[in-house]
Amino acid sequence: MTVLGQNLIDALALGSLYALIALGITLVYTVMGMMNFAHGEFIMLAAYALFVFAGLPFAAAVAAALLAGVAIALLAERVAFRPVRNADLSAQLVTSLAVAAILQNIVTVAVDARAQSVETPASLSESTAIGGISVPNLEFVTLGLTLLVLAGLGWLLYRTRTGLAMRAAAENFEMARLLGVRANRVVAIAFAISGALAAMVGVLLVMQTGQVTPTMGLTPVLVGFVAVVIGGFGRMFGAVVGGLLLGALASLLGVYLPDGLVPFRDAIVFTVPVLILIFRPNGLLGGEISRARV
Amino acid sequence: MSGGRLRSRKSAAVSLLAPLALIALVVLVGANGAPSFQGTVTLILCNLIVVIGLQVFVGNSGVYSFGQLGFATAGAYIAAFLTLPATFALLQTPGLPHLIADAHLGSLSSTLIAAAVSGLLAIVVGLPLMRTSTLAIPISTFAFLVVVYNVVANWDRVTGGNSGLVSIPTTTSVEGAGLWAGAAVTLALAFKWSASGYRLQATREDEVAARSIGIGVMRERLIAFGLSGVLCGIGGALAVHQSGVLNPTTFYFGATVTTMTMLVVGGSRSVFGAVVGTVAIASVNELLRGVENGAHLFGLVSIDAAPGLAAIGLGLILLATMIAMPNGLSAGREAGELPWFGRLVPAAPAALPSSSGALAPRSIDRPAKPGLRAEGVSLAFSGLHVLRDVDLVLEPGEALGLIGPNGAGKTTLVNVLSGFQEPDSGAVSLDGVDVTGRSPRRLAHAGLGRTFQAALPFPDLSGVESVAVGAMGMGVGRRRAVAVAIDVLGRLDLLERAGLPAGSLPPGAQRLLGIARALAIQPRYLLLDEPAAGLNEAESEELVAILREVLEDFGCGILLIEHDMSTVMELCSRVQVLDDGMTIRIGTPEQVQADPAVVQSYLGSSFAAAVDA
Repeated sequence: MTVLGQNLIDALALGSLYALIALGITLVYTVMGMMNFAHGEFIMLAAYALFVFAGLPFAAAVAAALLAGVAIALLAERVAFRPVRNADLSAQLVTSLAVAAILQNIVTVAVDARAQSVETPASLSESTAIGGISVPNLEFVTLGLTLLVLAGLGWLLYRTRTGLAMRAAAENFEMARLLGVRANRVVAIAFAISGALAAMVGVLLVMQTGQVTPTMGLTPVLVGFVAVVIGGFGRMFGAVVGGLLLGALASLLGVYLPDGLVPFRDAIVFTVPVLILIFRPNGLLGGEISRARV
Repeated sequence: MSGGRLRSRKSAAVSLLAPLALIALVVLVGANGAPSFQGTVTLILCNLIVVIGLQVFVGNSGVYSFGQLGFATAGAYIAAFLTLPATFALLQTPGLPHLIADAHLGSLSSTLIAAAVSGLLAIVVGLPLMRTSTLAIPISTFAFLVVVYNVVANWDRVTGGNSGLVSIPTTTSVEGAGLWAGAAVTLALAFKWSASGYRLQATREDEVAARSIGIGVMRERLIAFGLSGVLCGIGGALAVHQSGVLNPTTFYFGATVTTMTMLVVGGSRSVFGAVVGTVAIASVNELLRGVENGAHLFGLVSIDAAPGLAAIGLGLILLATMIAMPNGLSAGREAGELPWFGRLVPAAPAALPSSSGALAPRSIDRPAKPGLRAEGVSLAFSGLHVLRDVDLVLEPGEALGLIGPNGAGKTTLVNVLSGFQEPDSGAVSLDGVDVTGRSPRRLAHAGLGRTFQAALPFPDLSGVESVAVGAMGMGVGRRRAVAVAIDVLGRLDLLERAGLPAGSLPPGAQRLLGIARALAIQPRYLLLDEPAAGLNEAESEELVAILREVLEDFGCGILLIEHDMSTVMELCSRVQVLDDGMTIRIGTPEQVQADPAVVQSYLGSSFAAAVDA
């Protein structure tokens, strides 16, 4: 029983981390219609900010990482993504791939291609025992942060004017624009929040692994993409569900797979959602994607 | 254009010979260089084959795949397994089945087997992946790439894991790679110009319109995906026989970005573009790598070695291309379609054959109960009743007008009849066969053609291609399809402009082209959704004449949604009036026009009052 409880909490924690990634990707997708390949590099750059400012008090280093995430997201939006805002989906996707490649290799040149280790606060690597289950403190932080983010996003989207403008832009960008929504501002805000979410994920990943590498964003961005797809494109709730499912799958497979197959966990984790898509091409919670009127 | 051709012989020849000449030039330059340079050029040619593989799928379907390098990985490992010398195989791949490990094949047979295996893998992987949406394919193919990486990186006893394989025989020469690249170019162009290639390009241009002419989007994508897998597998196999080493990252994320950059910079829609882009980017890449390894400029500035610099450069080029030149260097055109070729060889005036009679009515074996019928069709969108218990009968050879105010449900009814919308209740039958819920593709094959309120052109295809692809959607061969297209275009008086891209035609011509495309499937029933909207008076009179000819010559039934009453009066023998999702009147045009209820709903009560007064 305790083992099961332990596994479930691990699954929930990993699922929340994945949900945070998926939320960041969905947010940009809803207002701009772009699947952002560079989201993984936002995560990676924030992690490197933590590495660079490791000498500072931990809270200051985390703040620097958040700032880095927001700044790089805003910069990428202004320089690379605004010019292709009206291009088709594929063109936007390839543009974000270019941004990802550039950012990844800038870090390779500036720091190194090899992994760098980062010291993490001891309090985070300890565990707390609750009723026979020992839960790593980092998992509490992850779960708490996810709940906070969800509450904050909910408040922003449904209780503020900015949120209203964002939801309007998500429904119909051109119409919202005609009605006086400032498109550039809405897109910039979406990117800023997305960058902040990426930074949180970056910090959590460093706490988990204790190291940074230039390619560390690749798997998270794929996780986020797949979560978004199985959750149904462009739905916040779907992204959270998709992230939780994928995280739970990855976490439980890690425990229950036979030893010989454990190295192939990622392969299985990414194959299962594609099989789901065969039966539900628009995702688990997805409606019609095609908006074409016939 | 005549004689079943979609392009002049000269244009086709230039389109094929220009990329081949460029490859020959690369081979010539490479073969005369130092051994290390020869090796570099050989790898570039292998890369080119992968890029052409990418073009076959991405260029023709318009859907990006980030997984094609997974097939290059598969091809490379297969080729390595089949050729590793016994001593090295025992050490590096002890888990490999003896049958494969002891094969010790030559380079040609191992490359061919690698091609076949990669192609098969692409079909197996594509079967589920191509079912997902246009939006999900880039992501699911990316997932496939990661899955392949994960498997080869961890299957230590077979693939050598992360340390990879060494001492693979190096048998690929510059000339050999050049020959394979030439074959790949020829194959890619042959596919692009085949009926299957055109059907796939139609889905790229407009997925909805493509389905309406009977094209199976998933099937066409799968064919190209498989062919792309074959070419990528060949590229991977040849590359591994050049370098002699292989590891899981050889064809992974970095190579995906590089090949994608080559394709996009050259212009993904064109095979010529793929070749130009590969040569251009490979040259830049070599220069950047020189800088990367440290360089001294004029003895003044010295740059330290900085791995990753070349990749930044490529990323910037890709970004700049997407922003400033999304169609790439070739503008998406083959060499024989480029403007400078037109200036070089003035186009001969196209011969305009008169109606050749290629467009013939579909032969049918006397259906027991002819006609397109809707019975008790109801449909609601989130509680809003759009159709309520509607009946409709369209007999072969008659023209039925469907009128009613905006929002009456006319277009929705056509969508139900043509399979684009499934009704909540009620049935649709075609010549006595129940077809409720059948896909638009199957209905098109059963003899149902339709147009849309918007013209939905295939902007990048020429007029002839746009219409011929309608016949190709029915499985008609290319030559016969062109004959049908020329016949249809002749009847609609569109032949003169038929060589131009459909997207460049004026709106009226695009609309007529939409009708021509629907006619090219040789329908038994034709559903026209406001065909005269946007046409000027002369054009709309001509349209009526054409439709009358269609009625008389083919005995095909026409359902006409139209606001212009004079068009309806001229053409239709019966008119059905819809209002608020219900049929309120069926009768001759005269009866309907005189009906007070129709006048009330259609023209408004004030008008009715004025008539009464």
